Amino acid sequence: MRLARPYSGVFRGGATARTGPHALPLARIKKIMKRSAGDGSGGDGTGARMISGEAPVVFSRACELFVAELTRAAWAATLDGKRRTVHREDVAQAVRDTDLFDFLVDVVKDDDAGHEDGGDGVVGAGAGEACDDDGGAL
Amino acid sequence: MADAPASPATASESQVGGSPTADGVKERDGFLPVADISRIMRKAIPPNGKIDKGAIEAVQEFVSEFVSFITSEVSDKCRREKRKTMTGDDLLWAMATLGFEDYMEPLILYLHKYREAEVEAGDDAVAV
Repeated sequence: MRLARPYSGVFRGGATARTGPHALPLARIKKIMKRSAGDGSGGDGTGARMISGEAPVVFSRACELFVAELTRAAWAATLDGKRRTVHREDVAQAVRDTDLFDFLVDVVKDDDAGHEDGGDGVVGAGAGEACDDDGGAL
Repeated sequence: MADAPASPATASESQVGGSPTADGVKERDGFLPVADISRIMRKAIPPNGKIDKGAIEAVQEFVSEFVSFITSEVSDKCRREKRKTMTGDDLLWAMATLGFEDYMEPLILYLHKYREAEVEAGDDAVAV
C-alpha cells in the first residue's frame, strides 16, 4: 500500500485537498477519455481500450494550460467590450479569434442571438458594466 | 442553452442534473469540476477581473471537448498501430500534431516531475 506522500514542492500551486497534487481530478479526466476513445473505433475491438496511469496526469496539466489560454483570449474580448466581467460570449469570441481553437467552432452555439459585439457595438445586455449583475461573477 | 450537451461525445450522457457537491452546487456530469475550472480561470486574468457563471460553463464544455478531440486522435493512432493502451507519450504526440506544440515543454517537464515523484513514492512503499 503506497503511502500518501506529500508532493509539495514538486508540483505547482494547482493542488487542492480534493484533486491531490494535480490541478484537475484524474478520475474525471479518465472518464471523459473513456467516453471519447470508443468514437470511431467501429466496435471492431482493436481501438485503444486502456489508459496508462500517466495519461490523465498529462491531461491534467494540458487542460490547465488550455483553460488558461482560452481564458486569456476571452479576457481580451472582455476588454474590447470595455467590461471587467468575462461572459460566455467572450469565450465564444476567443474561439472564433484563435486558430488553435478551430476544433471548437462547431461547439460554440449561436446563443446570445443578436449579441454580436464586434467591439464597436453597444448591442443588448452585457455591453456595459451596468448590466453585470454580479449574480454569478466570481 | 447551457443545458444542452456541448458535443456528440457527450450527447448520450445525462447532462441535466449532475451530482451535487458539498456546497449544493450541481456538478454537470462529463465535465471537469466548476471549482477547479474557475480557479484556473481566475489565475489567468487580473485581480480586478470577474468571471460570469456562463463563461465558466462554456470553458467546462470546451475543455471536455479538448480532451475528446485529443483522445480520439490517440485512439485512432493506437488502433492503426494495433496497441490497446493510450499512453502519456501518445497524448504528447497528438497535441503536437494538432497544433498544441507550445504545450510540449511544460508537459514534458510536468511528466518528468511526476515520474520522479512516483519513483520516490515507490521507494517509500518498499521501505514500509
